[in-house]
Amino acid sequence: MKPHSERSRESLLKFMATPVRRKYFETLRRMLGPSGLISIREEQFFLVLAIAIGVLAGFSVVLFRIAIAAARLWLLGSSLHPSAPRVVLIPALMGLVIALVAVRFFPRVRGSGVTQVKGALYLYDGYIGAGTVVGKFVLSALAIGSGQSLGPEDPSLQIGAGLASGLGRWLKLSKERLRLVAPVGAAAGLAAAFNAPITAVLFVIEEVIGRWSIGILGAVVLSAISSVVVERWFLGDEPLFRVPPYRLDHAGELIAYAILGVLGGIASVVFVKSIKNLRPWLRRQPQWSQYLQPGVAGLLIGFIAIWFPQVMGAGYEWIDLAMHNRFPWEVLGILAGLKLLSTVLSFASGTPGGLFAPVLFMGAMLGGSVAMLEQQLFPAIAVPVGAYALVGMGALFAGILRAPMTSVFMILEVSGNYSIILPVIICNTISYLISRGFQEVPLFDLLSRQDGLDLPSLEEGREQAILRVEDAMHPTLGRALLGDEAIASARSIVSSTPDAHFLVSLGEGRWSELSREALLDPASDESAPVRVLVGARVPRLYQDQSLDVALRFMKDRPMLPVVHRGNLDLLMGVVSVEDILRAYRKAGLAEPETAEVS
Amino acid sequence: MSEETANCTICKQPLDEYGRCQHCDDDTHTWTIHDWRPLLTLSLMIALAFSFTSLVVSSFNEKENALATQYSAAGIRVMDEWNRGVRKSRPTPAVGAFENAMVYSPNNFQYRLYLTDALLASGATDEALAQLQAFLVQRPRDAQVNLKLARLEGHRHHVDEALRYYQSAVEGVWPERSDPVPQRVGALFEAAEYLLEQGRHEQANGALMALAAILPASPSEQEKLAGLFLRNGNAARALSIYQVQLSVNKNDATAILGAAQASFAAGSYTTARRYLQQLKPETAESQILLAELERMEALDPFARSATGRIRTERTMAVFRIAVQRLAVCGVPFAQAMTFAPKGAKPADPAQWSGFAKWAEQLAPMMNERKLRGRDDVIESTMRFAFQAERAAQKDCGTPTLNDEALLLLARERMGASQ
Repeated sequence: MKPHSERSRESLLKFMATPVRRKYFETLRRMLGPSGLISIREEQFFLVLAIAIGVLAGFSVVLFRIAIAAARLWLLGSSLHPSAPRVVLIPALMGLVIALVAVRFFPRVRGSGVTQVKGALYLYDGYIGAGTVVGKFVLSALAIGSGQSLGPEDPSLQIGAGLASGLGRWLKLSKERLRLVAPVGAAAGLAAAFNAPITAVLFVIEEVIGRWSIGILGAVVLSAISSVVVERWFLGDEPLFRVPPYRLDHAGELIAYAILGVLGGIASVVFVKSIKNLRPWLRRQPQWSQYLQPGVAGLLIGFIAIWFPQVMGAGYEWIDLAMHNRFPWEVLGILAGLKLLSTVLSFASGTPGGLFAPVLFMGAMLGGSVAMLEQQLFPAIAVPVGAYALVGMGALFAGILRAPMTSVFMILEVSGNYSIILPVIICNTISYLISRGFQEVPLFDLLSRQDGLDLPSLEEGREQAILRVEDAMHPTLGRALLGDEAIASARSIVSSTPDAHFLVSLGEGRWSELSREALLDPASDESAPVRVLVGARVPRLYQDQSLDVALRFMKDRPMLPVVHRGNLDLLMGVVSVEDILRAYRKAGLAEPETAEVS
Repeated sequence: MSEETANCTICKQPLDEYGRCQHCDDDTHTWTIHDWRPLLTLSLMIALAFSFTSLVVSSFNEKENALATQYSAAGIRVMDEWNRGVRKSRPTPAVGAFENAMVYSPNNFQYRLYLTDALLASGATDEALAQLQAFLVQRPRDAQVNLKLARLEGHRHHVDEALRYYQSAVEGVWPERSDPVPQRVGALFEAAEYLLEQGRHEQANGALMALAAILPASPSEQEKLAGLFLRNGNAARALSIYQVQLSVNKNDATAILGAAQASFAAGSYTTARRYLQQLKPETAESQILLAELERMEALDPFARSATGRIRTERTMAVFRIAVQRLAVCGVPFAQAMTFAPKGAKPADPAQWSGFAKWAEQLAPMMNERKLRGRDDVIESTMRFAFQAERAAQKDCGTPTLNDEALLLLARERMGASQ
């Protein structure tokens, strides 16, 4: 009887007898690689890792939300209207505890989390410590659950980023990937917290990474989607807000939305300026006062909450009620103002927690207030309060967080209502412009600068003038040499110019360069074509490309050809390093305070 | 899950401390998995995280559901007290209770419906409307929501919107576990009654016809339908439904009374009287109807049982009633005859001058001697009375019971003559 191994080999050979099976076997062998192991490129692995990050971030955000709800139940009770002693004492006492733990053990958890993730990306090669994640989770849950006027979204973003950073380090990702893995986790955390993957992707691209690149976009999208799938698996797929039906009946309604945009812009400026002034002032106070500040903020919020418990916590349940005509316009206006005050107090005191939810709360109340007032002034018009509340949210989001694209898509995504887009765009644009006009530095840049970090400002980057090749190139005086013309003819052409280098067109958009010395070399055959003398090919440029790209291609080449996009053999001009530097000098960009290339 | 090989798999040069190749331009170098333990650990982590999260979520959900149930029970209790009239003040605490319930069970449809009921009872109509409209975005075909919206819009006198929602409720989707037919029938009944209240008789008739097509053979439902037909002025249809019911059960008191009322409304007073005589025991309604019939008979000079003397007496009585009515209308001649107050002036004296002349002509004939054997005068007196009563219907205030009896008699006679 044959041994077992021989029988297996025979059956394998028998199985492999058909060409199709043999082909599959070959493919599998190639996949396993020469050493019999699976080989994948790092970028492919990064996408797989993004899914795992999304799933884990989804779990952590679900647990985080439950932790907040449990903390609220435990600390403030189950009613929407807690008793007065609890309302006053709990935020103050928990503020003291949170300050003690944060200052002593987790100093990096203070604040929203967005600037910390940006810092991780630009300063620490994607490093966010495990302690920061744990501290953020526990302290933010306690802060929000105890009634501090903060939201869970930004902490979720930081928790997601921290998880991703930990995974990346554990898996020994390359430095570049490690740096990018934090924003991937941030997108996952934010997407799960908001139940809105598009918003999260846009926010992370617009505010954290600051550039669109296919490599990172794929990973960010995958992580956001997988985290939302996990979140919906556990918490359901209902939208964040139930929005009453909306229809724009008359174009005149847009005036009311424009007024809401103006009010939103003003509220945004007041909010950002309040934080701009109060936060550094509180930080300048003696060190011992840092232990008291969140407690004092909690006490003040508690006093407000005796009459207006709506200002406590994230406030989503109140947003829902406001959207359904629950409060008169005066109350809505007061709530918007008090929430602004409470959030400034909570945030400036260094209590860990996010700004997204309070911003949405303020916007909803402001929008609802405008709608209810309009309804009172014009009883014949059916004013959709829910729609105004939604648009108000977008206005404040655009004005305070200064992420205009995200603000528009966020409203569409959380409402699931596309017909609202026109008022949203009008209102957000007005609010954004007012905010930018009166408060030059966006909030997150302001916060990072207050923390002593000069992180790249993505808004400034977006608006920076881009110099293009056409700003630097100079037209060619003569024509370019042709690869097929005889050397003798080429020599006669160049004899009339003093240039040391010439561009040679090799046809079909291929270009090369040739030195005068090589062309005039007596050893070369005069009847031979110029093509035989040229060396390596040179890249071509187009007039509309940025000078940064031109510099990248320049290397040690004396010049590069600028060709027509419709005819790649048509030389429009040439550009050299001197030309590029001259253009930068002319535009006044040569010596910025910080040398950044966006 | 993976470790990079010590050398780049493309150019075979050693990698730097970050696992990056510094020697070739391709920064997307290949990774080779030769250690499966990190991958397995990651998978295990995900599985453990899933189990842990499931456990936490389910236990917290239980807690939340318990709280939601507790709050909703409190709200239901308040609403019960309000509905039973035990609670004098508005049931505002129920609103708070249902709002609390919804914090812990935000997607619970029933709680939201309870909340809208509580809001309505508390007078927060706008908010209830907004809540229901938000529902409708989520569940546009939900019959319960549409029905509530129909009631709400009806309450706000938005008749067209109310009808649209009633229509959607009838055609909508009812809760899965309940039988949709009775619910649809109920919605149609409600819609028909609302249409009747609004005086939209044609649409009401359409709704009632639709009801007749789907209504089960239950006597109570059929009699309710017949009652609505009767209210809508379709006495013939009502009578036929009652007659069908009586063919099944000839002692059905509701059907007998309904048939009597339908006959009465159709002007068939004899038939109505026959039905009323069948009814044992009599009801308050039947007694009223019977009294009305008797009043009519007492004024009818052409009744078969009436002798010559009775005919003349009844004719004189009818003349007196008609003149009295004209006096109320302000006709001077009639006022002079009846000692009615002189202040009242007719709105349009020309309209009444013909009646005054007619009455003037008839007045001398109104004694037993002159009327005896003068059927033509009796006929003329009755015509005068009928026309005067009809003319007075518009402008001369509420008719007396005798005036009403005369009008009914007029209806019967004119119908007969037509």
